[in-house]
Amino acid sequence: MNARPHPVPEQFDDPVQQREAATLGMWAFLATEILFFGVLFAGYTLCRVRFPDAFAEGSRHTDMLLGTLETAVLLTSSCAAALSVREVQLGGRRLASALLAATAALGVAFLVMHGFEYVAEYREGLMPAIHYTQQGVHARGMEIFYCLYYFITGFHSIHVMVGVVLMLVMAGRTWRRAYDADYHTPLELTALYWHLVDIVWIFVYPLVYLVGRAG
Amino acid sequence: MNTVERVPAPRSYLEEGYGLRSWLTTHDHKRIAILYGIGITFFFFLGGLAAALIRWELVTPAGDLMSAETYNKTFTFHGVVMVWFFLIPSIPATLGNFLLPLMIGARDVAFPRLNLFSWYLYVVGGLFTLLCLLLGGVDTGWTFYTPFSTMFSNSNVMLVVVGVFVVGFSSIFTGLNFIVTVHTMRAPGMTWMRLPLFVWAMYAVALVMMLATPVLAMTLALIGLERLFGVGIFDPALGGDPVLFQHFFWFYSHPAVYIMILPAMGVVSELITNGARRRIFGYKFMVWAIIGIAVVGFLVWGHHMFVAGQSMYASIVFSILSFIIAVPSAIKVFNWTATLYRGDISFDAPMLYALGFVGLFMLGGLTGLFLAATALDVNLTDTYFVVAHFHYIMVGGAVMAYLGGIHYWWPKITGRLYSEAWARFAAILMFFGFNLTFFPQYILGYEGMPRRYHEYLPQFQVWNVLSSAGATILGAAYLLPLFYLAWSLRHGARAGPNPWDATGLEWTVPSPPPLHNFDEAPEVTEGPYAYRR
Amino acid sequence: MNARAARPQRTHRSGPRPPSLASNLWTLAALLVLLALSAGSALLRLGPFNAVANLGIAAVKASLVLGIFMRLKSDNALLRIVASAGFAWLAVMIALALADVLTRTPLPVPW
Repeated sequence: MNARPHPVPEQFDDPVQQREAATLGMWAFLATEILFFGVLFAGYTLCRVRFPDAFAEGSRHTDMLLGTLETAVLLTSSCAAALSVREVQLGGRRLASALLAATAALGVAFLVMHGFEYVAEYREGLMPAIHYTQQGVHARGMEIFYCLYYFITGFHSIHVMVGVVLMLVMAGRTWRRAYDADYHTPLELTALYWHLVDIVWIFVYPLVYLVGRAG
Repeated sequence: MNTVERVPAPRSYLEEGYGLRSWLTTHDHKRIAILYGIGITFFFFLGGLAAALIRWELVTPAGDLMSAETYNKTFTFHGVVMVWFFLIPSIPATLGNFLLPLMIGARDVAFPRLNLFSWYLYVVGGLFTLLCLLLGGVDTGWTFYTPFSTMFSNSNVMLVVVGVFVVGFSSIFTGLNFIVTVHTMRAPGMTWMRLPLFVWAMYAVALVMMLATPVLAMTLALIGLERLFGVGIFDPALGGDPVLFQHFFWFYSHPAVYIMILPAMGVVSELITNGARRRIFGYKFMVWAIIGIAVVGFLVWGHHMFVAGQSMYASIVFSILSFIIAVPSAIKVFNWTATLYRGDISFDAPMLYALGFVGLFMLGGLTGLFLAATALDVNLTDTYFVVAHFHYIMVGGAVMAYLGGIHYWWPKITGRLYSEAWARFAAILMFFGFNLTFFPQYILGYEGMPRRYHEYLPQFQVWNVLSSAGATILGAAYLLPLFYLAWSLRHGARAGPNPWDATGLEWTVPSPPPLHNFDEAPEVTEGPYAYRR
Repeated sequence: MNARAARPQRTHRSGPRPPSLASNLWTLAALLVLLALSAGSALLRLGPFNAVANLGIAAVKASLVLGIFMRLKSDNALLRIVASAGFAWLAVMIALALADVLTRTPLPVPW
């Protein structure tokens, strides 16, 4: 075998086959993630059909400004991740590591903002089973809304945390010249994962923050 | 064969290392298959023991052997173990892991480390389930219906839910590995329409595993959260919807039936073509039937919920879709029979299992049509008719095919031949034991005996005694292979590379195969099943 | 290793070509504009069209991320199929379950 810096595992014929397998595997995994989150979205849809007013009321209790900011932050981080892959492909190492670190930082910013939301909701008594003090006709329906809210954002935040760790690892490896224009599949796959987490949030945003805002 | 004899026999995968460590850290798909084989054999007999206890309890109408609560825990354990720790991994994780790379001419699956990791997930999931059993078991039934599982059951629901959650990821990763392997690792010339039907079945089953199992995982997580915090979306007392749980659960669990039966269909296609020495009749139809079953299998889950409070209109839609899925299944049965027509049929043990499969699958499938009819199902829901129906598919179908496959590829896996006489005897005994166990249950169900009770009306006793007697025979028949197959490991005659005179790439390599399967990348020039006729 | 040369040796440089910087930045700009549009439209009284507009915008945003950032537009067609399979199966789950809930006799609320 000729001296390649990145040896191809023995089950593969050549680097192309390896890359094809890796990207296909990642996309297949992302399809399972779509269905994993999909259960929560399906549950949300069916419950909202039954309690439309309570869901609107519950949504009005969320922090729309923070939610919008969080969305903007995640969208920007996605762009940074995409640019870092591009940068590595073009041979830029420093800028790529910086972009990856920026992605991770934006992810942390998202988590911190979301933490503030959770704290505020706890104070307001919007946390089912832990501190829930709502009264009125929609109180019980709102409880279901908030259960779903915590399930969805909770699982999403876990995914963001995993993504932040992965991004930092990728930033470190890129800095140490593990990836170059020839070989950067792990970086590509991590970026794909990050984008999917972003896509989940793109759907969370209107479903959680924007219901019943008018009127 | 000449090439194999010319060079000195390469070291087989079994000789690559002998210590426990060499097995527990292996990345070889063949060794991982054997690790799975050990695991599922253990769980099969554990689940079988629970089944035996159930049948012994039902010998008499009175509940004398165990209390109602113990009985509930026994059938729950039987269901959980048999579904998630035996049937779902059975053919894909053992035969599939072993054969898929061999059949498509690859050196290994695409992600060998992930493959080993799936096995460890399987083991961890299994340990949680065993721990749950040791701590007193769980009484919800394998379906974990809410709100009983979330609000009322005092048994160890959490442990078993965690166990099944973990083993679900094992099956997701196996599916992922198979899909990627089939897409990217096929040998030159191995086009899609030259794939053996077993590979097609593995591909379809991998698809189902990947698209259905995440739904189960999240649904179980929701159960866990609802149980932990006392709030959620399933409890009707809080405004939640228990039927919603059933939608999610059956969105996974109905396709899970196809996770069990599709691999069986793949195995049987290999067995019948070899046993009849004929090309498969209608290869393309078989392929499309496999894909059709996998896809339409996702659209029929509501037929489990006809009496659960589901809307009448939804039930009608699900009923029609359930009838539609009978079409590809029937195509497969017709094509197997057409393959046998004018074949040079042998009655070796694998073929006996395959023929048994076709008959039992047909009975199980046709009674499935009864249950898909909404009007009839109202009477038959939760009776022994349902129990008999799905055991004909899962035991008569999936287990028969699994054992047939194990016998057929045993020489390839171990390099040894087993005792054909004993194997035939076990296969025939199994067929009779099986029918004696489960056919009476159709009659019991039709007469209205409900499932999941530890006592029953005296008028049902005759059929129950017959069923329990059959279960005893069936149990003995299942134990037999354990002995003669183990015996063959040491004393069986050496098998050549191709003892069945079969086609297929897996028979071109030595038995047992070397570590990386193929010395040279094979070049495929013709379709599968190039038998004489 | 020599025996494996059944296929011509190919190298790593075979994935989709890196997209231009401008396309990525324009995509981000479009995403942020759509976000503002989405937030703005939610404050207008549109009745059921609030939900339609919001979900429609979310779908457009998601396809921008999928197509440009995740490079589905330029990569292998198989990957597009895999990605759409995930969404399609989710749609089936929601549609058939919704078919039940919408036509069912409503459960009485327990409070």
